[in-house]
Amino acid sequence: MHDGTDFVASSALRPLPAPSRPSPCVTDLRSPPLTQRQLISATPSKRRVPASQPGMADPHQLFDDTSSAQSRGYGAQRTPSGLGYPAASTTPPAAFLADPMSNMAMAYGSSLAAQGKELVDKNIDRFIPVTKLKYYFAVDTMYVGRKLGLLFFPYLHQDWEVQYQQDTPVAPRFDINAPDLYIPAMAFITYILVAGLALGTQDRFSPDLLGLQASSALAWLTLEVLAILLSLYLVTVNTDLTTIDLVAFSGYKYVGMIGGVLTGLLFGKIGYYLVLGWCCVSIFVFMIRTLRLKILADAAAEGVPVRGARNQLRMYLTMAVAAAQPLLMYWLTFHLVR
Amino acid sequence: MAFTLYSLLQAALLCVNAIAVLHEERFLKNIGWGTDQGIGGFGEEPGIKSQLMNLIRSVRTVMR
Repeated sequence: MHDGTDFVASSALRPLPAPSRPSPCVTDLRSPPLTQRQLISATPSKRRVPASQPGMADPHQLFDDTSSAQSRGYGAQRTPSGLGYPAASTTPPAAFLADPMSNMAMAYGSSLAAQGKELVDKNIDRFIPVTKLKYYFAVDTMYVGRKLGLLFFPYLHQDWEVQYQQDTPVAPRFDINAPDLYIPAMAFITYILVAGLALGTQDRFSPDLLGLQASSALAWLTLEVLAILLSLYLVTVNTDLTTIDLVAFSGYKYVGMIGGVLTGLLFGKIGYYLVLGWCCVSIFVFMIRTLRLKILADAAAEGVPVRGARNQLRMYLTMAVAAAQPLLMYWLTFHLVR
Repeated sequence: MAFTLYSLLQAALLCVNAIAVLHEERFLKNIGWGTDQGIGGFGEEPGIKSQLMNLIRSVRTVMR
């Protein structure tokens, strides 16, 4: 980290009076907490303000001996801003703050950090739609509970329409039919953990297999969403299904997969096939009922049977999307249950 | 299973390349998928074939 030569060279540039340096082991013990606080221009702005104040006081409290002056002086040399801290490092901390050079350094560092933060905030919205994502995570416990119940037993639910509030869909917290990303994300992570558990009980586990499972499941998810997007484009469906909606719908099958694998671990292959079959049928019905309202909006809303070539094509598309779910559910779990 | 994100990326790249190398004059016109042959009237329903031709033409334009 900091060797003795670096030490001496940087000290040679400064007008600091440098008396006997403490031994390297002593400064190594002390400098990490100091350099963190005194690297003003490198820390992010939200950490900087509370850190600078106690940072000035702490060496004074921690170290009562004279080596604290050299430690502070050493810490001051590590700031990359390159501005010199003249005799101020040997004076008490209050005079350190009053030094105009250190004030300028602090102001410069804080403005750099603020600019950087602004730049990141401005550009992050171009790649990841953060505000749109926040909508999908606006869930509460009751919604999660009821949605999970709906995923396992969708047969009694009557009204599948998403409620709108002045042209924007209502947050998932208030409407059980709205898609969310919380359940798919949690189910995906739980699926990877359960896959690791299943592999472990069969003595087939190794840590890189977890990464492989995760990558494989993500790749299938991406492929499925891309295929659905392509077919939606080809059939020219005028729908308000966004890509994130499709990711959410494709992620709902992980819940059934987890149930199947866990039952397979507890009760063997019979339990696995039973629960997986049940979850497959449930997800099939769930997807058909949800997508019918989105894709076949004009025809199916009133409940009339589907007629005409265009509507027939859309119905086939809905059935294909819904049928892909059980297939993928089986494909991604059958190798885990032996 | 070894179906990783990287293999998906490779497959996508190869597919895009395959669409990009379809030659307009020598091939697409001969099977009736040229871009000036398909655009019918401005009816409501483009149909799958014209959507596909549009897609191919867009991919070729972007990859040019």
